[in-house]
Amino acid sequence: MDKTILEVKDLSYFVREKKIIEDITFSLQKGGFYSVVGTNGSGKTTLLKSISNIIEPTKGKIKINGKNLNKFSPKLLAKEISVVWQHNEFLFDFSAFQIVMMGRMPYQKLLQADSKSDLSIVEQSMNKTNTWHLRNRSIKQLSGGELQRVMIARALAGQTPLMLLDEPISSLDIKHQLDIMELLRKINKENNTTIFIILHNLSLALKYSDNILALKEGRLVHFGNTKDILNKENIKELFDVEAEVIDGENIIIHHQ
Amino acid sequence: MKDIIWYCILGFLVLFLMFLGVFWGSVDVMNFDENSLYIIQKIRLPRVIMCVLCGAGLAVCGSAYQAIFQNPLSDPYILGVSSGASLGASIAIVLGLESVFFGVGGFAFLFALLTVWIIIRIASVGNKLHTTTLLLAGISINFLMAAIISILMVVSQENMSKIIFWTMGSMSGSKFSDIWIVLIFVFIGIAVIRIYAKELNAILTGTDSAKSLGVNVEKTKKIILLFSTLMIGVIVSYCGVIGFVGLIVPHIIRLMVGSDNRRIIPFSIFGGMIFMLLADILSRVLIAPSELPIGSITSLIGAPFFIYLLYNAKKQLNP
Repeated sequence: MDKTILEVKDLSYFVREKKIIEDITFSLQKGGFYSVVGTNGSGKTTLLKSISNIIEPTKGKIKINGKNLNKFSPKLLAKEISVVWQHNEFLFDFSAFQIVMMGRMPYQKLLQADSKSDLSIVEQSMNKTNTWHLRNRSIKQLSGGELQRVMIARALAGQTPLMLLDEPISSLDIKHQLDIMELLRKINKENNTTIFIILHNLSLALKYSDNILALKEGRLVHFGNTKDILNKENIKELFDVEAEVIDGENIIIHHQ
Repeated sequence: MKDIIWYCILGFLVLFLMFLGVFWGSVDVMNFDENSLYIIQKIRLPRVIMCVLCGAGLAVCGSAYQAIFQNPLSDPYILGVSSGASLGASIAIVLGLESVFFGVGGFAFLFALLTVWIIIRIASVGNKLHTTTLLLAGISINFLMAAIISILMVVSQENMSKIIFWTMGSMSGSKFSDIWIVLIFVFIGIAVIRIYAKELNAILTGTDSAKSLGVNVEKTKKIILLFSTLMIGVIVSYCGVIGFVGLIVPHIIRLMVGSDNRRIIPFSIFGGMIFMLLADILSRVLIAPSELPIGSITSLIGAPFFIYLLYNAKKQLNP
């Protein structure tokens, strides 16, 4: 049985003449944990936005479960892919529960009220992310870590086989970074959800992911097993810093 | 269940204010003689019904625009619908076209639609509507229209008072024959906005966020924009420019019931009705037997209250 969930072939995105990403080809297997690393401006978010159909690539093909991305209606695609964004700015006041319930929108028709099944899935998702006790709290009053857990609960409520995350931990302290990564690993193992996460913290990428996609100047320069890719030479090539990998588990970046 | 009780309470309040609107005014109609019945049937009753319809329509449009632009301070008038309508009316008055093409109202409606069409053309990139450009285009067109209206008033001084009255709004010319048209547009407009309430909630969490939830954001924005503008165009064409209702009512409702548009829309209907009925009663009784433009009353009530709300919100944000 084919275990490929996502295929990306020769994907490029240009803004006028500027190449943001160019000729990117890779595929993701069901149930995998993939981290995307690279410097700022290397095209990580553009790649994620292309896969989630937020932007239309200049050329190339994206297939979800063998079906072209452009054949999916917005609702159908939202049943396949959920996204957790880096920035969540809420000018309007919603409760955490209302935000997580929005994850059920792809399954609801216009004017349809929240069903018992929706309520139960939302409760399960919030329990799994340890946010059920925050359900009546305003989204504006949550801390950074709580908010990201609520956003992951929303993605979880969508029951998608693939979850994309755009630097979800970049503004969190190390304790909360670890909490979120542990939560994602739990979701990955228990729900068999494929995780595709953009990360800046290489130690966390090394600790949690099975595979790495390394981007440099819009090109996919390395793709494969995490331990094979996150070595001293590649880190030097990607980030232009001296690094040390200790026991294949920790990465120490040396000051220059 | 709690909401239904509130709807009943607000519904009774609306009926009470309608009763007040019909029986309180510069002329005493409580003796129910022939003159009184004429005033009730031909003047005051159509007027309070028009207030109720316009209030509901303007308030729901406000909440819809705030969702589309993801900005709690957005208002249908920012897009230039009001100044477009005012310009249409002013041109009709100055050129003496009051008996051509449904008169002043028809021109106001036509120019409102034309203004929105121009603004959408300016702000469209491909098949997308860029929110910031749309708002900036609206503001620019507003300035342009206001400048042209000022010039029209100077060159046609004999019509100045008529133009001013139109640009400030009035319910005094309401007729039952007009009410049916306004009722149809307001009913359809509110129904469409309510159908898309969940989508509007998702848009409030950000465009990318809404897209990833399966919402066709551009299509939803265009549908809501079209129906709200039609609603606003029709209201302005019959009652002139009445600002602040679309801004203040959804804002107060949001403070009371949160940001879920499924609740904001029905509560805004009642809120808009109450606000407009109060404003209309005040416009008639404050300097009776003369009458003030209702637009100035809505601004007089709305602006200080809005400043007070902003001041409180600021304290909450920066304790």
